[in-house]
Order: sequence, then structure tokens, then C-alpha cells
Amino acid sequence: MGDTEVGTGVRAELRAYIEEAFLYLHPDVELRDHDQFLELGVIDSLGFVELVEEVQTRYGIAVDALEITEENFGSLDALVAFVERRR
Amino acid sequence: MCGVAGIVRADRDAVVAEEVLRGIAGALRHRGPDGWGYARGPGYGLVSTRLAIFDVPGGWQPMRGPAGTLLVYNGEVYNHPELRRELGGAFATTCDAEVVLRLLEREGLAALDRLNGQFAFAWWEPDARRLTLVRDRFGVRPLHWAMLPDGGIAFASEAKALFASGEVAAAPDLAGIDEVFTTWGARAPRTAFAGVAQLPPGGLLVWEDGAVVAQRTWWAPDYDASDVAPAADDLSDLLADAVRLRLRADVPVGTYLSGGLDSSLITALAQQASDHELRTFSVAFHDARYDERAFQQQVATALGTRHHVVEVGLCEIADGFRAVVAHAETPLIRTAPVPLYLLAQATRAHGITVVATGEGADELFWGYDLFKETALRELHAREPGRAEALLDELYPYLDVPAERRGPAWKRFFFEAGAPGDPLFSHQPRITATGIVRAFYRPEVAAALASGAVPANGAAAGAASAALARLRAELPPAFARWSALERAAYLELTTLLAPNLLAAQGDRVAMAHGVEGRFPFLDHRVFAHSVALPPERKLGPGLREKAELRALAERLLPRAVVERPKQPYRAPEVAPFFGEHAPEWVAERLEARALDDVGIFDPVRVAGLLRRCRSGKANGFREGMALVGILSTQVWHERFCGLGTAGAWPAERSEPRVRLDAAEGITSR
Repeated sequence: MGDTEVGTGVRAELRAYIEEAFLYLHPDVELRDHDQFLELGVIDSLGFVELVEEVQTRYGIAVDALEITEENFGSLDALVAFVERRR
Repeated sequence: MCGVAGIVRADRDAVVAEEVLRGIAGALRHRGPDGWGYARGPGYGLVSTRLAIFDVPGGWQPMRGPAGTLLVYNGEVYNHPELRRELGGAFATTCDAEVVLRLLEREGLAALDRLNGQFAFAWWEPDARRLTLVRDRFGVRPLHWAMLPDGGIAFASEAKALFASGEVAAAPDLAGIDEVFTTWGARAPRTAFAGVAQLPPGGLLVWEDGAVVAQRTWWAPDYDASDVAPAADDLSDLLADAVRLRLRADVPVGTYLSGGLDSSLITALAQQASDHELRTFSVAFHDARYDERAFQQQVATALGTRHHVVEVGLCEIADGFRAVVAHAETPLIRTAPVPLYLLAQATRAHGITVVATGEGADELFWGYDLFKETALRELHAREPGRAEALLDELYPYLDVPAERRGPAWKRFFFEAGAPGDPLFSHQPRITATGIVRAFYRPEVAAALASGAVPANGAAAGAASAALARLRAELPPAFARWSALERAAYLELTTLLAPNLLAAQGDRVAMAHGVEGRFPFLDHRVFAHSVALPPERKLGPGLREKAELRALAERLLPRAVVERPKQPYRAPEVAPFFGEHAPEWVAERLEARALDDVGIFDPVRVAGLLRRCRSGKANGFREGMALVGILSTQVWHERFCGLGTAGAWPAERSEPRVRLDAAEGITSR
């Protein structure tokens, strides 16, 4: 149960961050957990710079350049899985 | 230095009313606070407002030459004493304007190549009914024009004089505004106003009896290097001469001292050439992240100048912002012009009306980080490992905040643009700046979109009309130039002229009747910089401005020569939020005000404001977005809003010059 709660916490935190930092520029978008950021156009290349920085500082994770992939950062689901795996 | 303007009608008998000329003069009074004059005759009216620098008692304009042609002239030709000797004969004044007029009457436009200086002028040949507008090589001095419905033409140093004439209405040009939010300034002939054009740097236009018959550039930056690399000492002599010429004035001269290499070097050379105590003027920031006062003081002390400092905090930036937008006549992307506006104000208050600065050195000698970054990104395409290692080594010398040193930034940095792309050097900046365009209302984005832009309008830096025009207008030789020469050309033509010399240069200085002079933008210094081998600009280890640094070592304190370059910036978000923020900020950013202007989307802007108010909008992109949106709102209110009539009270004083060939003809 503890893991699920952490998962929910990370998911809620990251969703709140993404909504606040990026989605205000896309008022028509309802972001679902599996939606791809790039595909939807809600986070651009410089947005990923900010997103990676946020993940590093918020969760104390050192992200390697090679880890910056769609598998790890491409959607809310991917992000949550990456953070849970790494922290 | 002055303001110039005029109206020429297609109808050769039409009269331009004196009241219209007074209106125009009123709008340009700040450029020429010492007095004004006009000339008019059948079908034309010319106006000059004067800031007296040479021949203070004489030298009033408009000026009539021996052949009967008329000149209104803004700026300086520094080699006028030499040209005067060459021309020979008697002169009515000791003013450079008279030399230019005589040369034009004798040689026509062939004379332009011989002028060393910064100028914009209009030359009227009444018999031929020919008006020639000319702007200096780098675009130091501004010149705007508009076609009139009857086939006539109106021109003015600043667009506000066109509006004050009653002949031209102010309305936004979305394409021009979009250029501001793509490459940081609308590029000539475009402006932010529909129906108002500007002459390009090094450009000329000829109107003859009802139609524009020629538009071309008489000078353009060319990087096809000469075969002979200059000798090591050449720059020292050349720059000393460029400074010496620019100290010529019949009034006291000062320098702006930023604390960096370029302005320090100019100050040192000015001190050597000056026969009186040199005055130096600097901006200091309350916020230590922007402040360079320790370096400024070091230079001032070492050189023994009489130094003045203007302290700038958040309130000063907020309070000066609207006036700066009104002078700049364009939406802005940064607040950086505001401290320079305040600096000019202080300079004037100390009785100095002419200042030399270091502007241009970074473009000519590859000083900006952009040049290092371009070199690295180009290397990355061939040797990624080496480029990444070099970037790590360079970080201490690059002005990048912490978040731009992370792994994701590196990825972005090295993947932004392909080396073969003509705009390769500028793609990271273009992409970053695209944030402002993401705030457009959907219908504005749609109106601007070419086929390649996704419908959401948020595709920062994607193919746009602004970039398509830029690509299409690159000179044929561009393809032959190296990546760094291309970068330099783009810096000169997309940033220096449309932004640094305009909103951040001429307009904020002339707002207070202060003239900036730029020794590095002497065309001989430019030719020298082009001929230098690349490694004497961007040196070993990507150390910038190698040739200038070598010269500076002989003239300046070691700490100033060796310090890492610090770009000039000012706070962008903080001035406009919190207790000290003026009320008009919130008012201009309300949904209703945004709807009235019709460019930015209130829902998106509200999201940005939430982040600004909660202190989360710390990134450089959101700073650009806020300044871009707020300045557009202020700009629109000032120029295109209701009740802008009467914004520039007409000139009521007696003209110092009145060349009136129209008296007795009924005014209309």
C-alpha cells in the first residue's frame, strides 16, 4: 500500500507541476496519463529542459543525458515510472 | 544630432500647412531640443529639430545649397573637416551637414562612400521633384517613411512624427510584431506599424514626382575577406583614429562604461585623445546578479575619469517602461533598454549630450556567447565527444543559469538546427523566443501561419513567415561564408540594427537628446575585423575577441581584461509584480485590455500571470513572454489606442529657420 501511495503522490505532484508550468499555454488540452507530451505539442524541446531540471531537483535524481528519452520523460505514466524506479 | 521629417505631395502645387509642420516638429522635439526649422514650397514641406553639436550658433536646418537643393540631416559625418578641405571654397557654417549637402550637389549619391559616420537624411531637389532618403551603413540613425494615398511620401526619424502629421494612421502590422517575437526586432523595411516602412541600414530610396523610383542598399556587410591579414598594430591605430574622430564636437563628450572590455577600451582611448577631463557614465543595479559597478569603478579609477553612476532597481524599471516603449515604437523582448534610458537622462542632467560607447565590438570581433556556441555546435556534428567536453570546460565562462547546465540543455543545445541550415547559429535563440508566439490568440496564430506551422501555434521556432523572409533575403554571398561569419552577419542585421541600435540605442538616448557614438562601427574597423583570420577573433580555447584583448592588455587593468564576459541584462519579471508594481501593469494585462488589442490570448496570459505572481516564472523564456506581452499592450495603447490624438503637442516656438517659398499660396 505504501508504494501505491507514493505512486499517487508522485503522479499528483508531477501532474500539478506540468499543468502549472506547461498546460496553461494549451487551454484546450485535457492531458491523460498516457498522452505523449511531444505528440500533443504541450512540451517543446526547451520545455523538456525545464522538466528534467524539475525532476532532478524535486526528487534528488541525477539524470544522465542518455536517459532523456520518450520512454522516461514522454508522458505522465513514463515520468512516474522513471521517478519511482530511480529514487 | 537631430530629428528630420517631411512631406512631399504628388500634386506639385499642393501646400503643406505650417500647422502640419509644427505638429511634426512637436513629435520630434526630444531629438532636437535646441530648436527647429522648416522649409516649404510648392508640393513639399521639410522639418528639422536640432540638437546642436557642431557650429552651435550656426548650422540650423533645413539647409539650402548653392544649387538650390535642400537638406534635412540627422547624425554626424566625422570626417567632415577633411571633406571640407577637399571641397574648398567658402562655407556658410562649420557644420557637417553643409559639407554633406555640397558633396551631394557636386557628386550625387557617389558621395555616400566617402562619408564616415552615422546619419540619416533627406535631400530634396525641387526642380526634379526628387526626394532621396539615405541611412548610414549600420543603421545607427533611424529613418521611417510611408506612402501617402495621393502618391506622395512622408518621412521622419521616428514613426510618431508621421502620425502627428495627420497623414498616416497608426495600426499594428502583425507580421512586423511577429518578427519582433522571432528575431527580437522588425527588420527593415518592416516595422511594427502597418503602412510604415523603415529604410534598411546602408539603404537609400528615391522618390520622384509621384512614385518611388529606386530602393537599394549602397553598403552591406560583406565577409569575403581580403587576401592580406592586417598587421598586429593596425587595430590599435585604427581604433584610436575612430575614437579620435568621434570625439569631434563643439560640446563636451563622455563615454558609457559598462565595466566590460569594449566600453573600457573605448574609454581608455577617449581619455588618451581628450584634452579635458573625460566623464564616464554607468548603470549599476541594486540586484548583484546584474551589477558590474566594481569593474566600472576599477576602470574609472585607473583611467582617472570623472565617473557618474545611475542606480537602477525594480521600481525604476517599472516606472520607466512605458516611456521607453513610447520612444522605441515597438514591442520589446527585454527590459534592458530601460536602464539605458535612465542613463541617458542622467547624462543629459550632467550637461553631456554626446557619448561614445563600445557598441558593435561583440558583433565584429565575435564576443557574444552565440559565437562560441555556434563553433561548438558545428564541431558537435563532426566530433560530438570533443564538443561536449569543450562545453563542460567553457561553462564557467558562459553566462548560463544553473538549469541550462543540465543534461537536457546539452541535448537541446546540440540538437537545435542542422549545420547546413543558414540560420543554424540562431536556432537556439529563435526556438527560445518562440515562447512569446505561443501566447497569440488562435486567430492571430492562424493569420500568421504559413503551411508549415502547426495549428496550435505553439510550435516555437517552426517555419514562419518571418523566418521565410529572412532566409529569402540573405545575400547570395552568404553561402560562401563560414558558420561564424554567417552568425556575425545575422547578428548585425537581425539584432544590432533592429534592436540594439534602435530600441536600446538611438531611441532611449535621443529620448533625452543624447547622441551615442560607436567607434567600433566605423566602417574601416569593420573592414579590418573581416580581414582578420578567425583565430584572431575567437581565439584558442574559444576565448572571445582575441585581438581586442591583446590591445586592451596595454591600456586597462588586468582584472578588466581577464574577466569573463557578462552580457548586459536587466530584471524582467520582478519589476512588474509585488507591492511596488505600478497599477497600470495589471490593468494592461486584464482580459478586457487583451481583448481590446486582440493579439494575445487572455486565458494563456492568465496562466503566465499566475506563475509570475507566485514567483515561479524565473526562466528566461517566461521573462521574454511577459515583457513581450506587456510591451505590446503598452505600445498599442500609446500609438493605436483611442485618444492618442494630441499625444504630441505641436511645436509653438518660433522656428530658427523658415525657408518659405509657399507664402501667398493658400494652405490646405
